[in-house]
Amino acid sequence: MLNVANMSASYGAIDVLKGISLRVEEGEIVTLIGANGAGKTTTLMCISGLHKPRSGQLTFLGQDIVPMAPHHIVRLGLVQSPEGRKVFPRMTVAENLEMGAYTRRDPDGVKTDYERVYSLFPVLQERKTQPAGTLSGGEQQMLAVGRAMMAKPRLLLLDEPSLGLAPLIVARIFEVIQTLNQQGTTVLLVEQNARMALRIAHRGYVLETGTVTMEGTGVELLADSRVQAAYLGE
Amino acid sequence: MAALWQRLQKQGGIELLIRVVLLLYPFFPVLDWAVQSLTGQGIRLDRQLVNIFIFGLLALALNLQVGYAGLLQLGIAAFFAIGAMTTGVLTVEKYPFQLGFWGAILVAPVMAGAAGLLLGAPTLRLRGDYLAIVTLGFGEVMRIVLLNLENITDGPRGLNPIAEPWLPVFVKDTIGAEKAIYAFALFALVAAVVLLRLLERSRLGRAFVALREDELAAACMGLDPARIKLLAFAGGAALAGLAGALYATNLTTTAEPNTYDFNYSVMVLCCLIIGGLGSLRGALMGALLLMGFDNVVSPLLTRVLQKAIGGDSNFVMASFSNWRWIIFGAALVLMMRLRPEGLWPSRRIAKELHEPPAEVA
Repeated sequence: MLNVANMSASYGAIDVLKGISLRVEEGEIVTLIGANGAGKTTTLMCISGLHKPRSGQLTFLGQDIVPMAPHHIVRLGLVQSPEGRKVFPRMTVAENLEMGAYTRRDPDGVKTDYERVYSLFPVLQERKTQPAGTLSGGEQQMLAVGRAMMAKPRLLLLDEPSLGLAPLIVARIFEVIQTLNQQGTTVLLVEQNARMALRIAHRGYVLETGTVTMEGTGVELLADSRVQAAYLGE
Repeated sequence: MAALWQRLQKQGGIELLIRVVLLLYPFFPVLDWAVQSLTGQGIRLDRQLVNIFIFGLLALALNLQVGYAGLLQLGIAAFFAIGAMTTGVLTVEKYPFQLGFWGAILVAPVMAGAAGLLLGAPTLRLRGDYLAIVTLGFGEVMRIVLLNLENITDGPRGLNPIAEPWLPVFVKDTIGAEKAIYAFALFALVAAVVLLRLLERSRLGRAFVALREDELAAACMGLDPARIKLLAFAGGAALAGLAGALYATNLTTTAEPNTYDFNYSVMVLCCLIIGGLGSLRGALMGALLLMGFDNVVSPLLTRVLQKAIGGDSNFVMASFSNWRWIIFGAALVLMMRLRPEGLWPSRRIAKELHEPPAEVA
């Protein structure tokens, strides 16, 4: 579905990605784990078109997406939920969700998706008319995921959904990610919380200072001694 | 005093008063005509009001760019001038292609909007301060170009006389051209308010808010920030062009190009800041206060002042309009200090200024 081949990216003179390759197949949850500064967020930014790679190929559903503008990529069904939640703080919860459906032209489908988001996150329905900035961190993350769902993604890119959240809330969010996946959305999940991510992922990649150093199924990586030492604190 | 104000607001007294005054607007020329026929001397209120309507349109245009899209624009006078000049070129006898007022009123916004597109396309990617510098420069360059392209614009003399609009005979006989311009300016202002109100509630209107709140998140949702900003910029420019066409027609000349200087742009911005950036009613109130001060209060005070110091009308300090920049400046400083959201802000923008965005961990 998504194929990243030998992609490099830099900010000015600083090389962030040094030729990484990865792929995501339809129906999978794939996770990209790694420490701060490894290049995880940059990878997602390149995939969603917000940062242009210096070299390498990016194909989504057989199309070359490197030259495409971000808003075109969203229309193909490749939707990112950015790091740090980034909800629109002074718009209401409902308006935030509405913005998620910005590119869509099927009012009926949008309506069903509102209900889908509200059934997955009942708290959002309770707080529908509240400004998003007044929600708790966990609720904001739920809103960010819900907003991305409103764009009807075929491939959902999630950047650190567990960032700064209490373990119980993280568990809830990961549960929802799995539910979404079972309902047919493919997920590329970037995480520092390697244990949680690898538990729900079909496959995973380990990113270290701009290079993919390991890859395997979630179970394999969880059992790998190097991953355990570096990312799972064992 | 403040308590009384609040009580009035709660009871809707102010709102009611404003509604009554608004409903009276179409009848001011009639009132004036009645006074004239009774006493032999008119109060000429309608003439001042036309200027306020035109300035109100200009304030709404800038509000679309600065208030909605968050683009700090310091050259609105240039688009106003383009509208006025287009009207001049299309109506004065000097040129073979006379379209008259009704043709010009359609072409002027198109020309100004096109200028907005041409200026906006390469520059809107600039961040706040830099965009302000570019637009300021554009405004000054446009003024100097108009001044020096004497073959086309008649330089400092301005293009004139601009013929009065063609009107059906019965309209001409009953109310006359001057009152017809009044009516049309009022209509244009009301139409602009209605359209902008619809825009605020539309998908595009929401996109403006989202872009102001978080451009990255908006881009992730599939908004195209460059296109949305360009739309706002060109739309505002077109509306300013419409205001320019009305201005030139009302004045029967395109006026001296130095009229459309940096001070003029700043004055429109002052309207927005005093009334409330991003708020339709605030922009209109700002226009009413500033133009009302300029056209009504300031001449009155000048008369009082001159009587008091005894007649030397050439003395600079004796003319109140020379004091206005000090007064506007003081008003701006006080507004920034005491009520940065303006006198009559939109609820959303007031929040943006008063609550720091919720900190995300």
